[in-house]
Amino acid sequence: MRGAHLAVEGITHRYRRAGQPAVCDISFEVNPGEALALVGRSGCGKSTLLHIMAGLVPPTQGTVRIDGLSVVEPSPRWVVMFQQPSLYPWMSVAQNVALGLKFTGRKREIATRVPEMLRLVELSDYADRNVQDLSGGQQQRVALARSLASSPEVLMLDEPFSALDAFTRGTLQRDVRRIAKDLGITLVLVTHDLAEAVVMADRALVLATNPGRISKVVPIDLENRDDLRTPEYAEARARLAAAYETAAGRELESSGTGGPSATPDDDGLNAARPAAR
Amino acid sequence: MSTDLVADAFMEGEVSAQRRAGQWKALRSLGYAVAGMALLLVAWWIGGLLVENDPALVAFADFAPEPALARLVEMIASGEAWAMTVPSLGRVMEGLALAVAIGVPVGIAIGRVPVMREITNIPFQFLRMISPLSWMPIAVMAFATWDGAIVFLIMIAAVWPVLFSTAAGLKRVDPAWFRVARNLGARPWHMLFTIILPAISQDILTGIRLALGVAWIVLVPAEYLGVTSGLGYAINDARDTLEYDRLAATVVIIGVIGFVLDFACQQAISRLSWHRDD
Repeated sequence: MRGAHLAVEGITHRYRRAGQPAVCDISFEVNPGEALALVGRSGCGKSTLLHIMAGLVPPTQGTVRIDGLSVVEPSPRWVVMFQQPSLYPWMSVAQNVALGLKFTGRKREIATRVPEMLRLVELSDYADRNVQDLSGGQQQRVALARSLASSPEVLMLDEPFSALDAFTRGTLQRDVRRIAKDLGITLVLVTHDLAEAVVMADRALVLATNPGRISKVVPIDLENRDDLRTPEYAEARARLAAAYETAAGRELESSGTGGPSATPDDDGLNAARPAAR
Repeated sequence: MSTDLVADAFMEGEVSAQRRAGQWKALRSLGYAVAGMALLLVAWWIGGLLVENDPALVAFADFAPEPALARLVEMIASGEAWAMTVPSLGRVMEGLALAVAIGVPVGIAIGRVPVMREITNIPFQFLRMISPLSWMPIAVMAFATWDGAIVFLIMIAAVWPVLFSTAAGLKRVDPAWFRVARNLGARPWHMLFTIILPAISQDILTGIRLALGVAWIVLVPAEYLGVTSGLGYAINDARDTLEYDRLAATVVIIGVIGFVLDFACQQAISRLSWHRDD
């Protein structure tokens, strides 16, 4: 399995009956195996952009190319994980994971692929369980296994962990990044959670609102993503917070939150996040 | 170690207490059911007494429970009860099968395609409100056999609950399920058989259960038509030959079979359901 190269070329999207475009003339590239975060306030069009990249929404203008191939419809080669796991409650965990293979006519691979995916998300013991018996975090792990079963080249995440508690969220963020890196998959993540972007992404695109445009590109070069108390983490988060505030049209207040010396805990982050969400 | 044992013993006590509570609940609801049936029987018996003691009505005294139940036992022993039930069940099943074959696909189309819903809404509501029995003259003209006409009447009565229940079920399905399936590469037939049908299976079965009730009700008057078999015919025939004990016994058979069919549907629904309602 190898990640694909992703090119977004001049994407503009205007919803019907909306005056201003939701996203306006956005272009960027994602390298194979890279993890990219799209960060911005609610309404900056980051989810719209992701849905366009996945072929779920046709853009008003522009093209998305995945390994040179123009995206016109969803494909098991580039899959999206949504905020809700949306597992099918009439199927077992294993049947849910096998769906992508079943839909794409690769039924012969189910016997080997499904146990492999469940091992990857550490749910091997749950194969025959009903998905309704699982916790929210476990359900999202099943959704991850389901997304990965058909060996996608790009994994797109649409705020996939925002409905989970902080501890589960933290674990999943690290696990998903590790799995994507191990498999070499290209990762595109939409989030309004700056900590999530710093933990998971190699690079963050900060989007401005009205219309959605790229405001700044922030590289996140962290050696250690397990320990959030390092100065490197605090510095990366502060740079992202500053870019985020600029995009939101406000400068960071001079006092306190987000400087390299600030305590990089969740509270500090929440303070750096604009009140409007 | 010892605390584990205590905990285990506690758990076992808990489990058996729960089981006892469950058994008690089942026993109590059985008791209520028996009491209800006893009340019904008493009402029937009082009615019989009133009829018997009224000089104007005394000819109908065989409607009372004693003669009717005695005749019922006789009819069961001779196979007469079975012989009148089988043709009726056949007609109901045929009509119901047609109603499902039409109602489920049309219901899915209506639930999935908004334009279809808009177009069909008023005409279907209009057709639904027409008593199935008012189609009787048309059915008699249109079908070569009496059986065909009866099956048609049952079908036209049963199709609406199946159709509307299917459409309503589909409208309630979480749109995210379709989006995820599409994202995983589902083709239209995958969508239908892997997502839509399992997702609304309970709604379809609930529609069938309602349809069965309506069909069973329409059956008896429909069998007053031309045919010389079935429960409706047996009622008419008993009336003509003044055998009121046989008439009352047939009514009991109709009630019992209707109840059993509904119960079977209910069991099928709870067995096949993936819904968790605790």
